Formats: sequence, C-alpha cells, structure tokens
Amino acid sequence: MSVLTSEWLKIRSIRSTSLIIGLSLSAVLLGFGLAVMAAGMYDSAPVDRRPSARISDLEEVVVIVPQLCMGILGTLAMTSEYVTGLIRTSLTIVPRRWPLLGAKAAVVVAAALVIGPTVVFGTYFLSRWVLGDRFSGAYTVAFLDRLPVLATVSLTVPVFALLGLGLGALLRSTPAAISITVGLVYVIPIIIGNIPEPWSERLGSLMIAALPRQITGDGNANSVYGSLLPPVAAAAVLVAYAALPLLVAAWLLRRRDV
Amino acid sequence: MVRRARGPPSRILYGVIELQHLTKRYGGTLAVDDLSFKVEPGHVTGFLGPNGAGKSTTMRLILGLDAPTSGRALVNGRAYTSLRRPMREVGALLDASAVHGGRSAYNHLLSLALTNDIGAARVAEVLAQVGLAGVARKRVGGFSLGMKQRLGIASALLGDPGVLMFDEPVNGLDPDGVRWIRDLMRSLAAEGRTVLLSSHLMSEMALTAERILIVGRGRLIAEATVAELTSRYPSLEDAYMALTAGSVQYGAAR
Repeated sequence: MSVLTSEWLKIRSIRSTSLIIGLSLSAVLLGFGLAVMAAGMYDSAPVDRRPSARISDLEEVVVIVPQLCMGILGTLAMTSEYVTGLIRTSLTIVPRRWPLLGAKAAVVVAAALVIGPTVVFGTYFLSRWVLGDRFSGAYTVAFLDRLPVLATVSLTVPVFALLGLGLGALLRSTPAAISITVGLVYVIPIIIGNIPEPWSERLGSLMIAALPRQITGDGNANSVYGSLLPPVAAAAVLVAYAALPLLVAAWLLRRRDV
Repeated sequence: MVRRARGPPSRILYGVIELQHLTKRYGGTLAVDDLSFKVEPGHVTGFLGPNGAGKSTTMRLILGLDAPTSGRALVNGRAYTSLRRPMREVGALLDASAVHGGRSAYNHLLSLALTNDIGAARVAEVLAQVGLAGVARKRVGGFSLGMKQRLGIASALLGDPGVLMFDEPVNGLDPDGVRWIRDLMRSLAAEGRTVLLSSHLMSEMALTAERILIVGRGRLIAEATVAELTSRYPSLEDAYMALTAGSVQYGAAR
C-alpha cells in the first residue's frame, strides 16, 4: 500500500505525465474532426452515390492514440528510473523489488482505465451526434448493441499500459521498449497483411487490434486482421499481451543486479 | 539532532555492518575479493581505495542491489534484503545525481519516504536539516551538484537510521558544504550511529574519520585508526599512497 502511494506520487509529480494524458485525450478531438470531415464529404457527394459510402468506426481508429500514449506512460514509469539511476534508490528502499513493479502496474492501469473508455466512448458519442443517419445509418445502431465492442476496445488501452511497462522493465531502455510497442501496432500488421495465406489470416488473428472483435464475436471483416479465434482464446491472448512481459520482467527484476 | 519515534524508544540506534568473505565477480573480473570487515557504531569509518578498487560495488552488495558471488554482507546481523522497512535501519547515498530532474525536492523525498511509511512531516524536517527548505518546491533538475549531495544526504536521513553509508558525499560541495558534511558525519557518529564514508579527499578524511579501511583490487589492504596511520606515516595521504602503491589500476606511473 505504501509503495502504491509512492508510485502514485511519482507519476503525478512529473510533467511528461500530464503531457501524455493530454495527448491521449486529444484523440477525442481527432475523432470529432474526422466525423465532421466525413459528414461534409457525405453531404457534398451526389445523392445517388451516397448509399455506397462507407465509414470506419472512428473510435476504433483513434484508439491507437491512447494505446500508444499509455504504452509510453507504462514504459517511462520504469525506464525513467533506469535512465536517471533512481532505480538503485527505489530498489534499495523496497528490497523485495516486485512491489515496486506491482505498484507501477496498478498506477498505469488505473490511468489507462480512465483514459481508454473516455476516448472510445467520447469519440463514439460525438461521432454519433455529428454523423446522425449518414453512411447508411452506420452510427444509428442501438448503443447496447455496440457496447460490447466499445468496452473491449477500451480495455486494449490498459493492456498497452501494462505491455509498455513490462517491456520497459524487461529491456530497461526507453527506445527499445517504445520501438517494440509501436512495431506491434503499425509495422507487424503491415507485414502480416502482405504475407501469403493462410499465415496472413492466422497471424492477423493474433494482433492486438484484431482481438476485441473476436472477443465479442463480431469478427474482423474488411481489415488486414483475421477472425480465427473463438472469444475465450482471443481474451486469453489479450491478457497474455499484458501479463507475459510483466511476469518475465518481475522474475528478472528479482534476479538481476541493478 | 536525533528524532525519536513517538512513545517509548522502540528502536536501538546501535548498528553494525559485517562482511564475511564477500566476493563479487563480473564475468572475468573480480570486483570484490574475499572481503571481511566490521563497521562499528560511534565513529566515522573511512572507506578508501583507488578508483576501481571495489568500494562502490561493496556498498551495492551491502544494500542488496547486487548479489554476491559468495560470502555475505550483514546489517545488524541480517541480510539487507530481508529488511521490511530498510530506511529505518540503513540510510545510503550512492549517487547524488541519480534523481529525476523533473520532480521537486519535496516530491522526490516524499516518494521515497512513503514506501517505508514515513510521513510528510519528516520530509520537511530533513529538508530543513540539510538546508534545502527554501528550494523544496523547486525542480531537482536545476540543482547544483552540491545541492544534489545535500538532497541525497536528506534521503539517507529520512528513516532516522542507525547505519549510514555515503559514497563520495563531498563531491561538488563548496568549502562551506565540506565543513557542513564533516560536522554532520561526526555528529551522526557521536549520536551512536554507524557511519561508513568513502572519499578520495585524504585531508578531509583525516579530519572526519576515526577508523580507516583501505581496499585495493577488491581486497582489504589495511584496517587501522587514523591515529595509528598518522603515527607511522607523515600524513594519512602518505599512508594511503604507500599502502595502495601496488593496487592502483588506473593512474600515471609514480
């Protein structure tokens, strides 16, 4: 408990935290802007072409921003201590070591559990308000029918926070941990989209962004991602992204010299 | 000034650091080689040796940051890593610049204090004790090395511990600060605490320490009182030069 309050103070007392949180929340504005643009394009299109107009679910597009930001927040929570050397003091005063990592995990997850739903649901409601029944009523689906996907997409944000923290603790390097996090979001899906089937679909089903719609059973039509996993397996993979690096890091933290 | 916990004195200030055949090997290099000694309370013990002699490694081993290859280091008869609230038994300053520059001095110290259930009042106390009360809300990044040394000493004092270890605390301090450290070390020892102090400043060490441990290439070269050394050699510096002559790894010929 005492280590938890310490970590809460640590994360609140540096400037980069408010910067990262501000950037995360700006994703709502990005979603709003995209919705306004889409509405404008729809309205200026010839009436006979409007029925074929399609739009992505904007909240699933902009969630990439809080995902990466919270990943970075998680990474920095650990690597900033290695960069400054503060980690020696931190581990001297908490000799069991794992409570330090546990407290950092709790703090970044708490932040991400607020930020994720705020961005996803905020973007959803703003887009629904801006777009109305345009795009063949893409945003007129009943809220309760969309709720499972919105909730699961929101949960990917704390997963990224833990993934970032785990990688940071494991690699003890800010650039290395952030590169891998960004690679998982941008680079690897592009590579997977370009490899031959059936591997493209198989690996595409394992990507983080592919998991929410497999968990809810909606499937990933019209994307580079596959839909081969049953809901329980997809949920297990999502949990593994968060837990595996962190568990390995906790194990190593106890064993490595500092 | 010693701050006592509320209620009856539950803690004994008396503390001992004991090394038993402590050995640490990094790959092919033997950083600490079968080191055995005891640091007792009531006086400042100076920890001397050339660069690379293993002083900092020894301190990291005592604090459980590095695991020994063999042998052990005990604090008050126990392994450091078994302590639940270590700040109340051991205070250490290893590297004064190892702070997050974006945090204020107050928040830095409070974040450390909270882990060991030490409150904000004690943080204010140590800030006043080291003379940083006026800049407590300033970001540490703007501090001079001397101010960072004071901040590091404040963090070591937070838990009012019986055992204190300082690695080169005099670095970067102005003459005023050097004298302040000397007086602080001596008064902490006079209160009955165990103080282990490493430094390269021989004249300063001669004024501050009562006992001296000299290490070279990871081994104990000499263990004596300052009085014994200065009676056998013209000065502590001459004693150090003579005793470490065979152990200097990085230096010009002399």
